[in-house]
Amino acid sequence: MARRSDRRYRGWPALSWAVAGAAFLVAAGAIWLGFTSFGTALAGATSMAACFGLGLALIRRLLGGPSGITGVARAVVDEAVRMRSTLVLLILLVGLVPVLPLLLDPAERLAYRVQFLISWALGATGLILGFLTIFLACGSVCGDIDSGRIHMTLSKPLQRWEYLLGKWLGIVLYNLLLLVVAGGGAYTLVRMLAAGPAIDAADRDAVDRQVLVARREVAPEPDNPQEYAAAIAAAIARLETDSPELFATNPAATRRRIESEYRRQWHTVTPDMETTFVFPRLGTQGRADAEVQLEVEPRVTNVDVDLADVRFALWLNGRPWPLKNGAQLEETLPSRARHVFDLPAEPVAESDELRVRVANRNLVPPGETRATAITFAPGDGLRVLVRTGGFEANFIRCLVLLWGKLALVAAAGVAAGAVFDLPSAILATLVLAAGALGSEFFRDALGTYNVVGESAWGRVADRMMLAAGSLREQQYYEAFRMLLGFVTDFVLWLLPSFTSDAAIRRLATGITIPWSDVLTRLALLGVAYPCALGALGWLVFDRRDLVRGSS
Amino acid sequence: MELTKPASEALEPSPGRGGEIDVKCVGISKSFRDFWMRPRVRAVESLDLEIRRGEIYALLGPNGSGKSTTIKMLLGLVAPTAGRIAVLGRRPRDVATKRYVGYLPEESYLYRFLSARETLDFYGRLFKIPSRVRRERIDRLLEMVGLDAVGHRPVGEFSKGMQRRVGLAQSLINDPQLLILDEPTSGMDPVGARQIRDLIADLGRRGKTVLLCTHQLSDVEDLCDRVAIMFGGRIRAEGRCADLLREEGVTTIQTPALAAPVTDEIRDLLARHGIGPVQVERPRRRLEEVFLEVVERARAEGLQTSGAKAGGPVPDFLRGDESGGPAAAVTPRAPPATVDTALIDSLVGRQADGTPE
Repeated sequence: MARRSDRRYRGWPALSWAVAGAAFLVAAGAIWLGFTSFGTALAGATSMAACFGLGLALIRRLLGGPSGITGVARAVVDEAVRMRSTLVLLILLVGLVPVLPLLLDPAERLAYRVQFLISWALGATGLILGFLTIFLACGSVCGDIDSGRIHMTLSKPLQRWEYLLGKWLGIVLYNLLLLVVAGGGAYTLVRMLAAGPAIDAADRDAVDRQVLVARREVAPEPDNPQEYAAAIAAAIARLETDSPELFATNPAATRRRIESEYRRQWHTVTPDMETTFVFPRLGTQGRADAEVQLEVEPRVTNVDVDLADVRFALWLNGRPWPLKNGAQLEETLPSRARHVFDLPAEPVAESDELRVRVANRNLVPPGETRATAITFAPGDGLRVLVRTGGFEANFIRCLVLLWGKLALVAAAGVAAGAVFDLPSAILATLVLAAGALGSEFFRDALGTYNVVGESAWGRVADRMMLAAGSLREQQYYEAFRMLLGFVTDFVLWLLPSFTSDAAIRRLATGITIPWSDVLTRLALLGVAYPCALGALGWLVFDRRDLVRGSS
Repeated sequence: MELTKPASEALEPSPGRGGEIDVKCVGISKSFRDFWMRPRVRAVESLDLEIRRGEIYALLGPNGSGKSTTIKMLLGLVAPTAGRIAVLGRRPRDVATKRYVGYLPEESYLYRFLSARETLDFYGRLFKIPSRVRRERIDRLLEMVGLDAVGHRPVGEFSKGMQRRVGLAQSLINDPQLLILDEPTSGMDPVGARQIRDLIADLGRRGKTVLLCTHQLSDVEDLCDRVAIMFGGRIRAEGRCADLLREEGVTTIQTPALAAPVTDEIRDLLARHGIGPVQVERPRRRLEEVFLEVVERARAEGLQTSGAKAGGPVPDFLRGDESGGPAAAVTPRAPPATVDTALIDSLVGRQADGTPE
């Protein structure tokens, strides 16, 4: 009986492959019999499972050498595969992602549905893998310490830093495997959805040329930068003379506000006026096949009706556009909506820069004496998009960024597990991850409500000056608030940001995530932060007495 | 093939069994502190310990007497608050020391999701043992502890005694020079306990140094060369087992069963010499012997079990003075334990002549 029960475990891998093979046969049969959806879904799920099995075997082989670090890493991978909580989260992942397309309203435009699926699939994958990483990292290290397994492991010739590094390596490789499998599943679903019927030809075009693409964004610059800078300087000087009180408390913030307001004004085309926006360094010179788009989100101002139509005329590098029967057409578009124009090849191919002149042709609204102005939101309200590649490469870059973020979470979990007991370690890691997710919001919020200089040193100088001023005026609470700002500034400076790259939003809107960004972020999030967190964890762990409950 | 020791580890060869010191502690103390860094428990206090090469040394004491803390300090898992420790001539945290140390903790702290074979493989990797040698050793060790038939089952499904066997096997995977066994027979059935006793005796004969920590005093009587009894974090008695157990003033003569007249005659003879009172009794068999006999009989009848089977022989790679098999080539034959006392004294903070620094 003993031998028979052992054979059961020995035969498990072979049985798994046999089941996978049978599932493929069933899927093929279902497709042949006309049950295409069922067959495709079964084949997809089986492919994901088979990829997982193959990837797992590959990782185990990769970690197969006689080394302490890889030995620990391999044990973590084995632990991860067999942990129940891992299984629950994986089922959640496999369940959540494919279910979503079924919930989307087929009457909705296909481009929106595809964008939503991309955002949802990668957002859910990131969130679930983030939780999985936290539980795995903290649970693995704390579990070893609390159960006493660490005594057996560290009584072997293994340095404590090697143990921590091995744990991190195992989790990072396991994350890579899950990302590849989940990413493969998400990509397949996106392609399946995108292959479905679109609402109309414009919808199909939007899917193919605005969503499932990679386009580099080029922001506008002033036609005459020196003039622009001089205008801002003059405005600041004028205000300093007229209203010196505005600069008394926080000159840096006042200057920033003026610059921001001037920028907004520059993005505004007043009635009967023309403004030229220069889009430099398109990278299309000499390329007649370059796909270049102009994306605008115009808004009307000084009118009560926000959703009024916007009328304007365009010139591209001095040529009127678009033309119909030799005459220039004026565009009439709904306000507060995003519009994309495919630009003709000629003006773009002849020069590496595009000069877009916009003339306001708004009509005078009823009851008004003057036509409304047109404003493009600074940032993404007016930009040129140059196609650089396909969706697939962009998708992979997005996954690499996600992997880097998970590597940081893994390092935080391992370090926290080496320092705290299980609940505290999970809490600490969750706080860090939530902080990294919300850091942009915190920065904006504190930037709005607090002192902000342009640089870190500028902020320190501003705070010091303001705190000293408050003390002189015996406003002790205000002085305390300024000093407290040092702490928040320092924490925000330390805190990583998971959202500053806007990777998923870029992917879903067909904006290129450049490799340079990916590698920089990977070096920061996947290497520098994990090294710092690991070093902190090791400093405590190396001095810690490894007895149960010692933390 | 014999691996050459690194130059940094080349130390003086040992003159012979028992002449060198594998473990030396001088005045070690350990206080555990609470979250606020206040001293909470004083687990070990000014403990001096010396274990020689090839000795089987028992550390005894009631629960909470500081045995396990002492062991954890020897393994570098816990740092002493005061005092110095040298294990195999080096500091306990030194990775080079740990290459030659095997450790079985008081409870089987194993990964429940790994099989017995994977568990041994994991620990073998930590010793950087090449895969071919590792596989061979795992086979031999599983056979030795009687788990070769269930090697692919997850350890979490094992009984406590079977887990102890896995723990014992992992402690031997590196062919250790110093073996630290904390309650090795806890949770074991009498068959397993007997096998472990035999194994310890065998390892002792092969020149291994064994530090045994147990509450099974009969095991200690049977196996150990020297014994230390701890209480309150200190060693209260220490010495050779035979010396400690010798009962002065009593002589026992053992003969085949005697008839009553013969017994009376002997009583009379002893009375004439003024010796008395004399106690005559028929010896009883030990329950352990009867148990082992029943199990052996069942096995001989071919009855099946899902648990551990009878253990096999001690593998050749666990070398002492004897020649090892091909697997023996992995671990350097002479670990750095073979040190001169001056080096140990320098590590534990004493002059070579024995006076404190």
